[in-house]
Amino acid sequence: MKRRKFLKSLLALLGSTTLISFAYPLVRFVAPPSRKSEVKRLSLQKNEIPSGEAREVVLNNTPAIIINRPGKGYIALSKVCTHLGCLVEYNKAKGELICPCHAGVFSLDGKVLSGPPPKPLSEFPLRVEGETILIG
Amino acid sequence: MWQRIKNGLEVRIGLEDLINTKLKNYTVPRNTNIFYTLGGVALVAFIIQAISGFFLLIYYVPHSEHAFRSVQYIMTVAPFGWLFRLMHVVGSNLLVAVIFLHMLSVFFMGSYKKPRELTWIVGWLMLLVTLTFCLSGYLLPWSQLSYWTTTVVTAMPTAFPYVGDYIANLLRGGEFVSGITLNRFFALHVAFLPPLLVGLMVIHVFLIRRIGLSSPPFDESAEEARPWTEYRHVSYPNGNSFYPYFVLKELYMVALYLVVMFFVITFLPTLFLPEASNIPANPLRTPAYIKPQWYFLAPYQMLKLIPNKFLGISMQIALIGTFLLWPFFDTKKERNILKRPLLLATFTASLLLWVVLTMWGRSS
Amino acid sequence: MRYILSILLLLTLLTVTTTADAGYRDIFGKEFLTKPWAGGLVEESVCIECHTSDIIKPEFRDIPQEWKKSWHYHNDVSCENCHGGDPEDAEMAMSPERGFIGTPKYSEVPEVCGKCHIGILKNYLESGHGKALKASKTGPNCVTCHGSHNIQKASIKIINESRCSKCHSYERAKIMKQALFLTEKKIREIDNDLKKLRSEGVFTDEEDRSLFRTHVEYRTLFHTVNVGLVKKSTDKFAKKLGLIEEKIDKTFKELEFRKNFSAFLMMVFAGLGIVIFLLARTYKD
Repeated sequence: MKRRKFLKSLLALLGSTTLISFAYPLVRFVAPPSRKSEVKRLSLQKNEIPSGEAREVVLNNTPAIIINRPGKGYIALSKVCTHLGCLVEYNKAKGELICPCHAGVFSLDGKVLSGPPPKPLSEFPLRVEGETILIG
Repeated sequence: MWQRIKNGLEVRIGLEDLINTKLKNYTVPRNTNIFYTLGGVALVAFIIQAISGFFLLIYYVPHSEHAFRSVQYIMTVAPFGWLFRLMHVVGSNLLVAVIFLHMLSVFFMGSYKKPRELTWIVGWLMLLVTLTFCLSGYLLPWSQLSYWTTTVVTAMPTAFPYVGDYIANLLRGGEFVSGITLNRFFALHVAFLPPLLVGLMVIHVFLIRRIGLSSPPFDESAEEARPWTEYRHVSYPNGNSFYPYFVLKELYMVALYLVVMFFVITFLPTLFLPEASNIPANPLRTPAYIKPQWYFLAPYQMLKLIPNKFLGISMQIALIGTFLLWPFFDTKKERNILKRPLLLATFTASLLLWVVLTMWGRSS
Repeated sequence: MRYILSILLLLTLLTVTTTADAGYRDIFGKEFLTKPWAGGLVEESVCIECHTSDIIKPEFRDIPQEWKKSWHYHNDVSCENCHGGDPEDAEMAMSPERGFIGTPKYSEVPEVCGKCHIGILKNYLESGHGKALKASKTGPNCVTCHGSHNIQKASIKIINESRCSKCHSYERAKIMKQALFLTEKKIREIDNDLKKLRSEGVFTDEEDRSLFRTHVEYRTLFHTVNVGLVKKSTDKFAKKLGLIEEKIDKTFKELEFRKNFSAFLMMVFAGLGIVIFLLARTYKD
C-alpha cells in the first residue's frame, strides 16, 4: 500500500509536469502576436514628391517606393520583386517598374505586365491628409 | 471543500452508484491482452487530433492564397505552433496505424462474430470516415505535396464509367484541384466529418457496453457456447474491474502512444513532411515523385496494376464490402482462428498482400 | 460459398498483381496523371520536335539535350525566350514575323541575353569586356564565359586561367578572383545552410530571396570587371550577408530548442507510462 501511495504521488507529479508543459505552449500560442515591428508609419509632405517622381523608403524592413503617378495619385509599393526577390527599379520614362534580374515588368499599380513574376508587387496602405502623406 | 462538492453531486446525480456500476463493478475478462486497449488508445488519439486541430484553426486561413502562408506562420512565427502542427500531422498517421492494429486484432481474435456484427460494421465505417479525414486534411496546407497528392487520389474515382468523372468533379468542385477544392475539403474536415465520427463513436461504445466485452478465444473457458437466440449481456463475474485495472492498462498504452509520437517529432520531424510539403502548391508544375499517403498506397498500387480501371475500382469496392460485411459471411461459431486454417491462411495472405502492395507502391 | 467467393476475389487479385507489367503503369500514368485536370499539360514545343529528328543538321541535333541539362531549362526558360519564333506553330516557328532571330551575331549576343538580364547587361556594357566587344566586335561576350545552351548556374569557378588567358594574362583576373573570394565563400555557406534548413522542414523563402537579391547584386557588380569597385563594396555586402546569417543562426537554435523540448515531453510520457504500469501491478496482486 505504501508503494501504491508513492506511485500515486509520483503520478501526480509527472501529470502536473505534463499539464504545465502543455499549458505554457498553449498560453504562448494563443497570445496576440506582438505588433512592435509590424507597423512602421511614415509621413511625408506632398510637395516632396512632384508628379511623376518617386521616392524610396524602407517600410517595416522592406525596401519600398512611393510614386506620385501622374493623374492617379500616390501609391506605396514594395520594391521586392515577387519572382526571386530582387529590387525593382522605377523607370520614369516608361512609367514602369522593372526588375533588373530577369526583366519582370510591373505597372505603377504594381500589376505584372510581363516577365516571370507570379504575383503583383505588394502594396502598403497610404492615406493623404491635407498636405501630408501617411504610409503604413 | 472537495468533500462538499462530492456530497452535493452525490445527492443530485448519485455519483457513487454511477462509479460503482459503470466503473468499479463493471468487469472485463481476466485474460484480456494489451490489444484490447487499442480502441481506447484510438479514442484518446482522436481527442488529441481534435484538440490540436482546434488550436491550429486559430491561425489557419482556408483560402488558396493564404493557406500555405498561414501554415508557415504556425510553423515559424506563432510560438509553439510547430508543436501543435507536428502533433496533428504525426498523430494523424499514428491514429491510422492504431486503427489498423485494432482492426487486425479484433479480426484475429474473432471478436466480430455474433452478436457483435454491428460493432464491427460501425468500426469499419469509422475507418472510412478517418481516411476521409486524412484525405481532406492533407490538402489544407496547400503545398506541392498536398496539391498533387490530392490530384492523384481524387483521380481514383474516375475509374468508374459514367459516374466516375462526376464523383471526381464533385469532390474537387471542378475539373481539377483548385481553391474550390480547398474550401470543400476544409468544410469536410472541420464541420461535416467530426460529428459523423463522434456519432459513430458513440454507437460503437454503446454497442460494446450493451453487449459486453468479448473474451480472447484462445483459452478453453473462453465464452459460453450457448446460442444467441435472445439478448443477454455478457459479463464476467470473476473478471477484473474496469477501474482501476483496465483503465490503468489503457493509460499506459496511451503513454506509449505519446512516447512514439514524440519520438517521431524529436528524431524524425520530417518523416511525414518531405521537401514537397515545404513548397507552395503550383498547379503548373508536377513534382517528380508524388505518392499518396502510406495508407492509400495499397489501393493506389492495385488500381495502377489492374489493366482495366473499372475492374480495378469495382474490385476495391468489392473488397471493402467484403470486409465490411465479413461477420455475415463468416458465420462459423468457432472463434479461435488457430483452429481454422483456411481463415488463418486468408487472413495472412490478405495482410501480406497489403504489405506487398504498400511496399511496391512506395518503391515504384 | 462465401469462402469460395472471397478466395476467388483474392486469387484474381494475386494473378493480376503477378501478371502486371510496366505497360499498365504507363496507361495509368497517361489516363490518370496527364489529363488536363492533373495540372498543366507540358507540351513539347515544335522546336524540340524538329531539332531532335534527323531532318536537322547533326550539329544542331544535340541542342535540346544540352538545354535540358541547363539552369535555364530548370527555370522554364525555353527556346523562344532567347531565339524568338513560335514554338506552337510548326509552319511559322522560324519566321521573322514571329520574332525569330536564329543564332544571334557574335557582337549582338549581350542584347539577346540582356532581354532578361537587364542589370547585368548594363554593367557589362560599361566594362572593359563590353567596350572591347562593341569597338572591335571580338571582345568576350556572355557566351565566351557562360556557354550557351548548357548554361549553368554561375559560380566563381568561371574565372579560371584557361578561360581568361584566352585573351589576356591571368594576372588581373586573379586579383579580381581574390577580391571576390571571401564574399563568394560566404554566399556559398549561406546557401548550404539554407539547404540544410529546408531539408529539416523550414520554409526559407524570405531568406532565399534576400540571399538571391544580395548575390545577384554582387555578381552584377562583378560584370563591370572593376576590381576597385568590387573591393569597395565588399563591406556593404558582408553586412547584408551577415544579417541573413544572423537569422539562419537563430533558426538553427530554434530547431535545437524544438528538439530538446519534444525530447523532454517524450521522457515525461515515458516516465508516466512506467509509473502507471507499476501502479497497475499493485492492483493485480
